[in-house]
Amino acid sequence: MMKLKIITLASLVLSFSVLADVPPSAAVCAGCHGQQGQGVEPLGPRLAGLPASYIEKQINLFQTGQRQNPTMQSMSMMVQGDAINQVAEYFAAMDVPLVKPHFRGEKADYPDATERLVYQGDWDRVIPACVTCHGPSGLGVGEFPRLAGQQASYIKSQLLAWQSGTRKGDLDGVMHNIATKLTPSEIDALSQYFATLK
Amino acid sequence: MKKIPLILLSLIMIPAVQADELPDTQTELVSVPKLASQTYLKPRPLNAIPDGEFGDKVRKGYELFVNTQQLRGKYVGNELNCSNCHMDAGRKANASPLWAAYFAYPAYRKKNDKVNSFEERIQGCFTYSMNGKAPASGSAELVALSAYSYWLGMGGVMDMAKLDSPVPAISDALLLQGGKLADFPIPEKVKSMMTIDELAKLPGKGFPLVPKPPLAYSPVRGEKVYQAHCQSCHGADGLGYETAGVYSLPPLWGPDSFNWGAGMHRVNTAASFIYENMPFGKSIQLTAQEAWDVAAYVNSHERPQDPRYKGDVSKLMTKYHKHQGYYGQAVDGSPILGSHSYAINPKGE
Ligand code: HEC
Ligand code: HEC
Ligand code: HEC
Ligand code: HEC
Repeated sequence: MMKLKIITLASLVLSFSVLADVPPSAAVCAGCHGQQGQGVEPLGPRLAGLPASYIEKQINLFQTGQRQNPTMQSMSMMVQGDAINQVAEYFAAMDVPLVKPHFRGEKADYPDATERLVYQGDWDRVIPACVTCHGPSGLGVGEFPRLAGQQASYIKSQLLAWQSGTRKGDLDGVMHNIATKLTPSEIDALSQYFATLK
Repeated sequence: MKKIPLILLSLIMIPAVQADELPDTQTELVSVPKLASQTYLKPRPLNAIPDGEFGDKVRKGYELFVNTQQLRGKYVGNELNCSNCHMDAGRKANASPLWAAYFAYPAYRKKNDKVNSFEERIQGCFTYSMNGKAPASGSAELVALSAYSYWLGMGGVMDMAKLDSPVPAISDALLLQGGKLADFPIPEKVKSMMTIDELAKLPGKGFPLVPKPPLAYSPVRGEKVYQAHCQSCHGADGLGYETAGVYSLPPLWGPDSFNWGAGMHRVNTAASFIYENMPFGKSIQLTAQEAWDVAAYVNSHERPQDPRYKGDVSKLMTKYHKHQGYYGQAVDGSPILGSHSYAINPKGE
């Protein structure tokens, strides 16, 4: 009993200290992205657990108009200078639900066409497996964003944005090159797949 | 099962080098320029792998090739997987596909009058590219990798010959030799379409030869190319990136990459690979000059020692490194490469 109390107390204190650390510039983001960056569908995608360097880069892409989204373009202007790095580090450090990773090469035969795209790709169209660049189960790797558990509507909107040219700025167009080869039904299925990965 | 002629068998069995000397299985492949509008063999889809004992070996081969890390500590001493260099799990033309390789072994090598079987070629990959220890001849791992390669190749040529029957199962002993045997069981319809020598040179084999650069390659210029086109994936330090213990974005140098004996350490081999396959998912985008320069940059960093090293860098250099590479040289005022190399097969048994 005693033990339990201490733990609750400790975790309370812990979450307070996290809240206390919210950089002032991140407070404006919470309305659409959630206090912990968990995302508020359909207002804004999850930012929690994205690589800090990736978040910084995206803010820059909104500011320079390479990513076109009226809401987020104006919001991006509210963070400047050092504040960009502060909000990026803040959201990057937030917890994301654990997902048991499935590794490339765990099995050879994926009867489901969507899982085949995710774990083996379709090299006849030069589409590598999504998990090569997005990490096992799309958990994110290096500077590449996590897809596992991201909102389906957001994933879909981004793949469509690359197709329509309203999202640019990925280095050498590596993601553009893939997104433009996907069919509408593949986009729907992939968005659903990653959003519901557990 | 067909029998292998005795003479050939005995040739294969002769160990051409002394037991304490590792075989040089990483000799350069003959690289041919890519032809425009070339069509390539198309392996059967993986969900066509048959059920049963033979199919199980093929599936195991795929799993070992893509998730080679399951052999970490046993046969693998770095963070790589075979599929990091042989794209699409060894199925992509011009990324040294297994289906083309299979029919080119056993390969006779004039240099030491030795016949190299398919299994020996794969053993070499473990020793050098994987910086590990070769699985024993005839081991389940080598059988599986051979079965996967055979199934990819045979299924592909059978489809070309309009034969849609299942790929015939063959013995383990035959699987390990490779498809370039006079009496290898090849369906008549395939034989009437292609000779053994043609099968051994299927279009798309190896990495296509990158055009010669206008200027001599330079690691200094290569660093700029690296920063612009490679760093975001492989890291500023070349060490790659990991998630959940898997280096999806693999290391290019340092302790966890291929060693100084691997084919990829040669500037020309790496340049051909990079020109055709990097940036990943884009294929040809760099100029030939950029590919050579960045290959020189990547390969002028320390990596695990050449397993044939016996304590003398310059001796090893004159014996095995008379090619386009940086082993035994000092680049840009650095210590001599090879003198501060990382461990061969660390954590190995
Ligand atoms: C009014 C709602 C709103 C507010 C407030 C807001 N955002 Fe956004 N944000 C969005 C929307 C909508 C998107 C998706 C944009 C798109 O589709 O390209 C987005 C996308 C992003 C992305 C890209 C995520 C990714 O995975 O690529 C980042 C980073 C981001 N916002 C950061 C911030 C930061 C930092 C703040 C606070 C300064 C902020 N946002 C405030 C709505 C908002
Ligand atoms: C060759 C590497 C590569 C592969 C393969 C790849 N991606 Fe990406 N992806 C990227 C990069 C790089 C980015 C970040 C782009 C940027 O920096 O703006 C990205 C971003 C994304 C995003 C936007 C995420 C966000 O938070 O805004 C989505 C969605 C996405 N990828 C989906 C996919 C899907 C689905 C697949 C498989 C069909 C796939 N990717 C395969 C490299 C890759
Ligand atoms: C670091 C990159 C790399 C890795 C990892 C790698 N290889 Fe290779 N492999 C090469 C290169 C480069 C060649 C071409 C040989 C040359 O020209 O030196 C090659 C050649 C081969 C060949 C002969 C191809 C032919 O056409 O004759 C086979 C078979 C092969 N590799 C199998 C494997 C297997 C199996 C593994 C995993 C155990 C593996 N490789 C891991 C780079 C790699
Ligand atoms: C979009 C990300 C990306 C970019 C950009 C990229 N690579 Fe790679 N690279 C990869 C991935 C992923 C693999 C492994 C492929 C696989 O496992 O299917 C790889 C494999 C390699 C390998 C063989 C494996 C190893 O570890 O040695 C070399 C060499 C290599 N890349 C060099 C380069 C060079 C040089 C550049 C710049 C010209 C470059 N790469 C750009 C993602 C990338």
